[in-house]
Amino acid sequence: MPLYRYILRRVLFSIPLVLGITVVAFLIANAVPADPINANLPQSALNNEQLVAAFREKWGLDQPLHVQYFTYLGNLLRGDMGVSIRTGKPVLEDIRQFLPATMELATSAIVVGLLLGIGFGIVSAVWRSSPVDYLVRVFALIGVSFPVFLLALIGLSVLHAQLGWVAGPGRLSFLVTRPPEVTGLYTIDSLLAGQWSTLRDAASHLVLPSLVLGLYVSGIIARITRSSLLEVLNTDYIRTARAKGQLEVYIVLRHGLSNALIPVVTLLGVLYGNLLAGAVLTEAIFAWPGIGRYAYRAATSQDFPAIMGVSMLIALIYVIANFVVDLLYFLIDPRIRYS
Amino acid sequence: MNQKLAAPAQASRNLILGALILLVGLGFGQVKAEEVIVLGHAEITEAYDPAHAFNPTSGMVNRVAYDTLVTFPDADASSIEPLLAESWSISDDGLVYTFHLRDDATFTNGDPLTAQDVVFSFNRLKHVRAQPSFLTDPIASIDALDERTVAITVTGPRPSFLAELANTAFSVTNASVVGANGGTDAEDAAETDTAQAYLNQTSAGTGAYVLQGWEPQDRTVLVRNPDYWGEQPFFDRVIIVNIPEAATQRVALVSGNIDLATDLTPDQVVALEGNDDIGIYLGPGRWTHFLLMNRDPGVGGPVSDPLVARAVRYALDYEGYRELWAGSVTPGSNMWIGLAGAYGQDEAMQRDLELARELLAEAGYPDGFEITLQYPDMTWAGVSTSTNAQKIQADLAEVGIAVRLLPGEVQVALEGYRSGEQGFAYWFWGPDKLDPVDFLEFLPGGKVAGERARWTEDGVDQSVMELIAQANEETDPDARMEIFAQLQDFAQEHSAFAPFNVPAVQTAFRAEIEGYVWHPQWGLDLALLSRAQ
Repeated sequence: MPLYRYILRRVLFSIPLVLGITVVAFLIANAVPADPINANLPQSALNNEQLVAAFREKWGLDQPLHVQYFTYLGNLLRGDMGVSIRTGKPVLEDIRQFLPATMELATSAIVVGLLLGIGFGIVSAVWRSSPVDYLVRVFALIGVSFPVFLLALIGLSVLHAQLGWVAGPGRLSFLVTRPPEVTGLYTIDSLLAGQWSTLRDAASHLVLPSLVLGLYVSGIIARITRSSLLEVLNTDYIRTARAKGQLEVYIVLRHGLSNALIPVVTLLGVLYGNLLAGAVLTEAIFAWPGIGRYAYRAATSQDFPAIMGVSMLIALIYVIANFVVDLLYFLIDPRIRYS
Repeated sequence: MNQKLAAPAQASRNLILGALILLVGLGFGQVKAEEVIVLGHAEITEAYDPAHAFNPTSGMVNRVAYDTLVTFPDADASSIEPLLAESWSISDDGLVYTFHLRDDATFTNGDPLTAQDVVFSFNRLKHVRAQPSFLTDPIASIDALDERTVAITVTGPRPSFLAELANTAFSVTNASVVGANGGTDAEDAAETDTAQAYLNQTSAGTGAYVLQGWEPQDRTVLVRNPDYWGEQPFFDRVIIVNIPEAATQRVALVSGNIDLATDLTPDQVVALEGNDDIGIYLGPGRWTHFLLMNRDPGVGGPVSDPLVARAVRYALDYEGYRELWAGSVTPGSNMWIGLAGAYGQDEAMQRDLELARELLAEAGYPDGFEITLQYPDMTWAGVSTSTNAQKIQADLAEVGIAVRLLPGEVQVALEGYRSGEQGFAYWFWGPDKLDPVDFLEFLPGGKVAGERARWTEDGVDQSVMELIAQANEETDPDARMEIFAQLQDFAQEHSAFAPFNVPAVQTAFRAEIEGYVWHPQWGLDLALLSRAQ
């Protein structure tokens, strides 16, 4: 199957998926037995019927549910996600403001996770059943099972407050001003503006949260890499390569790893989506003004447009991440091309 | 000749020397570093525009970015003090308040403050129909009598009006600047006013500080207003960084990243005691924790009986809650403890298990009963409702009342509370306006009593209802004290509520920070802070 047909098919599959997500997200957001009036107007303002009625009318809460849904869907198709009840700004603008912080963190965390995870996975597989292997497996277990928020707090208290090895909470030191906005990613923006000290500061603030999130990711990746590589290293073609007298390093990295990484790639899409969508606690602890915090506050204040906006965003992230993963498959696994 | 020649040479030498001294002096003057304070704060606001903002964070920021006509003392709500209004008078019928503005107040752009600015600001607040707009409900009209005189007519006698005007929602904004940036005070302002975006990024007030910028959920920056009409604050710049997690605030404070942490939990503050680098403030907060006992027998069951409600008040171990929450106090009623005339701990209920059992027997429950306690499962201002709920359960078990705990998600629980469908519930309340009339919410005829606890005027002694009516009109401070004392006595006997604890406010800061005072209206007055040299 040619690449373009493959892409086309994947895009077409995504449409009903996204539509389904709008329905589910809308129903769940509305199923909560709480009134956004209570969450968004102060107690004493509830006495003022005029204010309450104006609020309901303004946010369309006086309309039946299906009317609300189709209005939302219509607006969404025109690229309008509505206005957040809480912030009073277009949801799209809010997302644009908060997403870069999360993307910057998630991206650096996934890089850390990949480097550590694959590295440990290889070491563990090559020296199977050796003390190194056990050490790596314990490490991977801790990475996967240790609560991230606790790791974050311990990291802050020990590595930052006591030892001073890494920078503290926030995306920048509190006295440093942010670089002129281009992408919203402080590292890139400060690089573009040539603000080297800001770049250093932004990068140093990424270290600890990336390590904490990356450790979790690396635990998963190390386990998958290890088992997958072990399987590959037992196959006939590896034995053939060994028989040909090739260097073991070359065998493992060139012949072994390239095939062993296929399940890791599968996982990558899900993990990256997880990092983008599910870092609420980590963001809170590191005072990281990202989309997780935004989603949390939208949910607790019954801010329907924002809840929907974030749900759609997360759904899209997963859809896109999996799409990219499928594309990568197409490129790295010839079997898909010929099926 | 030589002398004559020497004179100019001497003069020029002196001149050079003088210039040098001046330069060095100036140089030293400039060496004085900018004084910056960094606050770690869990940001709770969606706006800084005074007409839209109604949250703790905006209260703190607008307190120093703007001024109101009148205000409270630095530390409490015991009196009304002048601010932009240097004096005022109230008409005999209590309907017209006339304010005389001070003549030296200017906005940050140099414009003088006028009565028109006041009229514009208050009308805009009313007409944008945003969160704090309800505060203007009592206002019938606002008129500028001349450049410096404003008359506000209220719709009926309102003893709490001056206290309400101290809310930062009534900040006076520069009418021409706000108007030039999309603001309007017209009746259709809800649809046509577009100044919020502007006022979220900068301020147009007469305050000690100017809002320099706001990155939501990240940081807010204030800079000193060099032309402030009042006393200059110490800090040149205030950076408020959003640190939502108390644990992170603690780390940032201890490591010196921030100078002050506004949201530490009581146990975190206790743990910081003994750290020489850290100073601690502890004082009664604004939240009164109470039990609600629904008067509708179909909803409240046994606790709908006033005798049972009274028994519950005698059964609670008030001292135990004080020990549980360091620095907390026992309130004498649902009237917030910091208000003029409120019963404090000395006049509060005392635990009396014997009496509680007698009252239960009298009500027909000699062996007690079973009941479900509903409450929002949350930690508010460092106090865990679950911890208190467990203590309530233990306290009431001692008089035979078996309590089953039913924690709920906050918004869901709130829904049940506001619709009056909770029979026996645990909630907390902070006064919306810092005036004794706030307490009337908890008495027959009040919203909390009527709609949440279904405690209505039916069957309430006529003399009590007359007292409540008086409380709603009387403006004389002494007469008010007398009325509210009687109402609190009545509540201790007959109320459908059992207030049991006012937890403390606790704040920790770097030891060199001075001047911290917590205020129930604006939380923290940034202009009062300084750094020991």
